[in-house]
This record gives sequence, structure tokens and C-alpha cells, in this order.
Amino acid sequence: MTKSTRLVQNLVLLVFALYALVPVYLVFLAAIRSEADLFSGPLTLSWPINFANFGRIWTEAGFSTYFFNSVITATSVTLLVLLTAPLAGFAFAKLRFPGKELLFALFLAGLVVPAPSVIVALYGNLQALGLIDNRIGVILPQAALLMPFSVFMMRTVMQEVPDELIEAAVMDGAGLMKLFLTIVVPVVKPGLMSLGLITFLFAWQEYLLPLVVFQTESLKPLTVGAASLQGRYGVDYGGIAAAGLIAFAPLVVLFLAMQRSFVRGLTAGAVK
Amino acid sequence: MLTTRSAYLFLLPSLALYLLFVGLPILQVFGFSFFAWDNGIIGEFIGLANYARLLGDGVFWTALWHNAIWVVLTLAFPLLAGLVIAAILAERGTNVVRWLGAIYFIPRTIPLVVAGIIWGWIYNPIFGLLNFGLEAVGLGGLGGAWLAQESTALLSLNVVGAWTFFGFCVIIYLAAIQSIDPALYEAASIDGASWWRKFRDLTVPLLRGSTLFLGLYAAIEAMRFFDLVWVTTQGGPGYATEVLTTHIYKTFFLVGDFGYAATLSVVLLIIVLTISAAAFALLRKP
Repeated sequence: MTKSTRLVQNLVLLVFALYALVPVYLVFLAAIRSEADLFSGPLTLSWPINFANFGRIWTEAGFSTYFFNSVITATSVTLLVLLTAPLAGFAFAKLRFPGKELLFALFLAGLVVPAPSVIVALYGNLQALGLIDNRIGVILPQAALLMPFSVFMMRTVMQEVPDELIEAAVMDGAGLMKLFLTIVVPVVKPGLMSLGLITFLFAWQEYLLPLVVFQTESLKPLTVGAASLQGRYGVDYGGIAAAGLIAFAPLVVLFLAMQRSFVRGLTAGAVK
Repeated sequence: MLTTRSAYLFLLPSLALYLLFVGLPILQVFGFSFFAWDNGIIGEFIGLANYARLLGDGVFWTALWHNAIWVVLTLAFPLLAGLVIAAILAERGTNVVRWLGAIYFIPRTIPLVVAGIIWGWIYNPIFGLLNFGLEAVGLGGLGGAWLAQESTALLSLNVVGAWTFFGFCVIIYLAAIQSIDPALYEAASIDGASWWRKFRDLTVPLLRGSTLFLGLYAAIEAMRFFDLVWVTTQGGPGYATEVLTTHIYKTFFLVGDFGYAATLSVVLLIIVLTISAAAFALLRKP
């Protein structure tokens, strides 16, 4: 490779790294600065770090509650998906039964369904079920909307389980559920981990469902809280930045800590 | 492979959840679209009258046009950037790949609501970094109220969309490149092929499957994105950033016209299903 090719390549890598990081850096900077020097002075970190914005947002603007709600909703959705999707993925990958193709196609079609296009009917249904302004009213539809992706990914993961393992267990007379729990689950643990992480990420990021389902302030998650803060706190930019940081920092940390698992999940969902 | 009817028991929990909260509403939305509605109460059957309204609804066509622009821009910019970056990274050391891969993906972990807020500041005409930066390099004349003027609002938003998406493309392409037989590249190198030749004649054709997958993903997301527009411009200024999902949301929650909101939803569903069917047909073709 010539020197100039290498130079151009490095430049491309650098420009896109800046594109990715500068906005994140700016919000971090705004969050730890005091109101007075927010948009003045050089764009370097100031010392000592000023935590006043976080304190104000956490206690006064209700972000401790929003945070707690995000944790509850995202965790519940993740558990629900982890308890259901792997079973279906196993059935599609390793079992034969009438109607299999049709049922799988049904899930596949769901991969592209836009949430805003079901909301028109879903909203009325949730109302009829008494689930408006109720956590269950977000958790169940959210898990359902993530189901096609989860089942699809789990099918890919389950296909990697060696058939011999399953056949040997069947010969020993193990029941299907016992086989699944004792033989299959231990083998696909990394895949389950990936599914859990991705589900958690998507559930934490969700905005539309909690926006329309929750009316009570004490039920709303971080996404809805951060968006409404923009209106309520008008010019408290330090506060809004701190709120934004609270809303995404857990995800960034989780991603960086579990990068390998995330990437495995993302690429398993992609068509090979 | 085991033939067993207990397979249905394995499917039951996820299928029930999916049918109840996604399948059923889709069928209902189809049904709703053939009726007149009054204050959330279903009225008389009016056949295709709601669909006929689409023809005269200028906002619908504007929104559809914006979605189409968004599809094209997403296919052009983040996909291409992801492909080039992945091809470059493929020849670098593991640590470089790990760190840069993580950095490029970080924006995707940020909720779109927060992404919208952050970029709203960058675009702010008074204290925003973009205008400030342009002024610093003597291009202050190019500055403007990026999200608040019709000429730049949609494009400016698309830059934010691309920001959250290109890292995903890098990761998908990188995984695909790493599964290509290195012998192919070695053979090309021995023949004296330049980096660009190898990229054009080896990498790009061999990644056709990933390109189709990402293209489908990008097109679907471009048709159904909502959060980013809703927290920044809500479709404005005027209708400059109106898209199908915001039109549905407003028609349903603000106007309260359930029948027409359902009709718009059906149109959106038909569009995404048609796009996916076309992509799958392409994917099957060798």
C-alpha cells in the first residue's frame, strides 16, 4: 500500500471517529459545566467537575424516578423476551411440525412492522384492557414488537446446536422441555446473553409506546422525561445535558463492557 | 429432525404475545380504514372513501416524498461510509478494530430522543457549534437556523440519522469481510492489484448479501422512523420534515380522525411489506 493511500485511509477513519464522538463529548461538557461558562471559553474539560447539574436534575426534575422506571420496563421486557423467544427459536431450528413454514413467515413479516402503524388500534385495545397508564401496557406490546427479531435471531443461534446432542438426549428418553433446559440452554448461553443485551438496549431506547401509554409522571421512563424536559426547562442547557447523559450513559457503558456479545448478536440477526 | 406436536407448545408464548399485540392490531387497522369515525367511535361503512382522500391529501404526498428522500440518502451515505470504513479496518490490527468499531457504534446506543436533543444544540442558530465552527473558518455566511428553515431541515435531520446508523453498517460489513477467504486477497496482491482495485473487484461484489441486508434494513427504518423527527421538529417548519409516521400520529392523536389514521397506517404497512418482498426476491437470486 502506498503512503498516500494509507494517509487518506487514516484521515477517513479519523473524520468518522470525530463525527461519532464530538456530539457525545459536547453533551458531556455541557453537563459538567456551570451555567455561567456553558457556551463560552474553550471546548476543553473544566476542572473541578461540577456535579450541580446532575444533582438538580436527579432530585428536582424527577430523573431518579425516570431512571428507575427505565430500569423496570427494560428489565421486564428483556426477561419476557428471554423466557419466550428461545423456545420458539428452538422449535423453528430443530423441530418438524405441520405449518412450520407459514408460522415462520408470519414472524418474518413482523420484522418490518412499524410501531406507529399499529398504535392506532393498539391504543384502543390497551384502553379496553385497562392497560393505559399501566406498566404492563408498555411491557407486553414492547416485547411483542421485539419478538420477530428475537425469534429470528434465536433460530439462527439454535441452528448451531449439534443435532447429535439432541438425538442422544432423545434416545435417553428425555422429555423435550427437559432436553431444552439441560442440553440446549447451556450450549446457547452466549446467544441468550446477546439477545438479552440487544433487547435491553432497544427497550431502554423506546419512546413512542411510553409516550402514548403513560400519563402519570411517576411512571414515565428516561426517554419521555428527557424529551419533555426540553420544553419545561427551556434554557437550562446544563440540566438538559445532564439528563441526556443519565439517559444514555448506562447504555454506552453496557455496550463497551459487553462489546463482543453485542456484536455477536447484531451479526447473528443479519442474513448470512 | 424431530417431528413433534409439542413444538406448538414451544411456540405458544411468543406467538400469543405477537399475535395479540401486533397481529391483531394490524387486522383491526385494516378494518378501521373502511369506516367513518366520529370522536373515536366507529361510524358507518364507507368503503374506500378514506383511501380516496389520500389522493387529495397534500401532506400525505409531501410526507411520502420525504420518506423516499430519506431512503435514498440513507442508502447513499451511511452504507457507503460503513463499507469503506470496514474495508479499511479489515487490514488493521485487532486493537484498532476493537476501539474504532466501538467508537463508531456508540451513537447507535444513544436513544434517538437524546440524539435529537444533542444535535438540536449543534444546529442552534444562536449558540450552536456548527455556525460557530463555520464562522471560525471564515464561512459564517453559510450558517443558518438549520432545523428551523425549510431548505435545510430535512437534510440536517438526516445527518443525525446517519450518525446513529453508519456504525451499525461498519459492524455488519466488517463481520462479512472477515469471513472472506484471505487467499483471494493474497492472490490479488501477487497480481499487483492496488487497494482500490481489490476493494472494487473483490470486496464490493463479495459483500452483496450484506449490502442487500443493510439496504433493506435502511429502507425499512427510513419508512418507519419517528422519534428523531418528533423530538426535534415535529414535522416542521411547515411540513418540511413531515414523514408518514408523524402524519399518522397527528391524524390520530391530535385530529382524532381514527379512520384516516388507520388508512395511512395501512399504506405504510403495504409499503414496508412490498420493499421487503422485493429485497427477499433479490436475496434469493444468486
